[in-house]
Formats: sequence, structure tokens, C-alpha cells
Amino acid sequence: MALRVVVRSLSELCITVGILIVLFVVHLLYWTGLRADSAADDEIARLQKQWSSGPVGGGPDDGEPGGTGAGPDGTPQHGRPQAEGGTGAPGRSTAGTGYRSGSSFAVMYIPRFGRGWSRPVLENTRATTLRKGLGHYSRTAGLGQRGNFAVAGHRRTYGDPFKDFPTLRPGDRVYVTDGDTWYTYTLTRRPYRTLPSDTGVLDSVPAPVNKAATPFDRPGRYLTLTTCDPEWGSSHRLIAWARLDATRPASEGKPDALQD
Amino acid sequence: MYGWIWRHLPGNVYVRALISLVLVVGVVFLLFQYVFPWAEPLMPFNDVTVDGAAGRATGIAATVAGGTA
Repeated sequence: MALRVVVRSLSELCITVGILIVLFVVHLLYWTGLRADSAADDEIARLQKQWSSGPVGGGPDDGEPGGTGAGPDGTPQHGRPQAEGGTGAPGRSTAGTGYRSGSSFAVMYIPRFGRGWSRPVLENTRATTLRKGLGHYSRTAGLGQRGNFAVAGHRRTYGDPFKDFPTLRPGDRVYVTDGDTWYTYTLTRRPYRTLPSDTGVLDSVPAPVNKAATPFDRPGRYLTLTTCDPEWGSSHRLIAWARLDATRPASEGKPDALQD
Repeated sequence: MYGWIWRHLPGNVYVRALISLVLVVGVVFLLFQYVFPWAEPLMPFNDVTVDGAAGRATGIAATVAGGTA
């Protein structure tokens, strides 16, 4: 009698644990994706509403409304970015971009990941932030600023934003808009695989541990994307670097490559 | 365990089945809403940032460049 109770309890325990594991996998593969997609859509919708309802405030440099990026104080001129020392205020710290922590401030488009691929970019890289979209490393430069605009994203789970990260190739475009300006970044090399401790990749002139992988040799306006590698692991990171190639005012519409 | 719960539910078979269903839905909701989001950062596929020692020391990245996969 007692043995029967033990066997039955053990069986029930095994079944319960099995169901729990299955539910957890469903949660990871399916539920987090659903939640992340709807959160990302909400963020993008909120941004677009905000952008259409008035001048963009709270950007990195343009505190005054109507400062559409042509100011002499560090916002890039429209058209080709200026050469070194052109518009960047000397001695500007790369920190203190003025983005609200946890809030989205830009939308990123990467055609390599699919025609419709777009994700909001939020300030900071906390786990709760990355559930809604991509996270901007708070200590790195702001969008389009001199220095390194660094962004992290999930490879797997939470909508798999950077699932196809290894397919990125030199010359691929990354479009980012803050509602005021479209920034076009161009990738310079294939994704670089490194260790999580390789924080030099976020420097304003990226300085990876592997010197041969150094993408740029002088200061400029750069973009860094980071995600994890392997897909379901966390032993390594994949890094992609891009340089700012062109900007255009949002009033002139989407870049040609994003037109439907 | 399940037999014990079943025996202690009130009502006839249909009422018990209905209560069981509600209990199952409730448990799944609690899991998805609270337990799994808590457990998920403890899994390895959730570090996407480069953060050096600071992130690892706190378990889940939080400091200089906290993060996820």
C-alpha cells in the first residue's frame, strides 16, 4: 500500500516536471515572441504618433524644437557626413545622450533581415528593456553623433530580432530614424565573434581584443550591433560595425531602399 | 496529488471538471506571467551585451552594459 503511494507520487511528479518543461519551452519559443512583437509594434506606433504630432524633442543634441540637425553643435549636417572635426563639438562626451532610460527613441531597419524587418531602439540594455526591442548601450554615443552608437539585441527568444545576424555582409545597410533624420549606416565587415568581456568593441573608435578585427582607424560616426553566439548560448558575442554614410531629413521620406 | 485534489473538489463530476480546468488555467497563467519571466534570465541564451566581469558578477547583466540574447 505504501509502495503504491510512493510510486504514484513519483509518477505524478515526473509528469508534472515534464509538463513544466514543455510549458517553459512554449513560453520561450512562442510566447516571448508574441509579447515582444506586440511590444515592438506598440513602441513603433507610439514613436510615429509622437513624431507626427510635433517637433522631435529630447534628441541627443537638439534641445530646441526645430533644430533639424543643421545646428553647429554636433548634430550631423544632412547629406554626406562632414569630415573629421567638421560638425562635432570638440571634447563632447560620448555619454549623456539625453535619451530617457527604458524609452524608445528610434526605429532601426535592416533589409538583410527581411523587407519588413524593423525594431524600436530603446535606451539602456537591461533585460526588461530588451524584451521590447533593441537596447542602446547608455554609455555610448547617441544616434548619428560622433563616436560609437552601440545597440544590443536578442539573437533568440523575444521575437528573435537578430536571428540572422551571421548573414550580415560588408556593404549591408542599416537604416535608423529618430523621426527627424534618416541615418544610413553601411557595414564594413562580416560579423566579428568575440568573448563577452571584449568591451573594447563599444569604444568610440572600436578596439576589439583581436587587433586584426579593428574596423576603423580614426574617429568617426559609427554603429555597433551586438548579440549572442551561439544562437542559444552565451559563451560568445557577435559584433557588427557600420559607419555613417548618409543622412536625410525625415521630411524627405524613407530612404529609397525602404520604399515599398 | 492529482487524485487528492480531485477528491477534495466539491460538486459532481462536471463541477469538478470545470474547477479543475479553472485551476489549470490559473496555474499556467501564473507560470507565464511570473515564474517563467523570472527563470528566463537564468538561462544561458539571454546574454547579448558585452559587459565584462561586471555583468557576470551580478548574475544577469545590469551595470555598465547589462543585457540579454
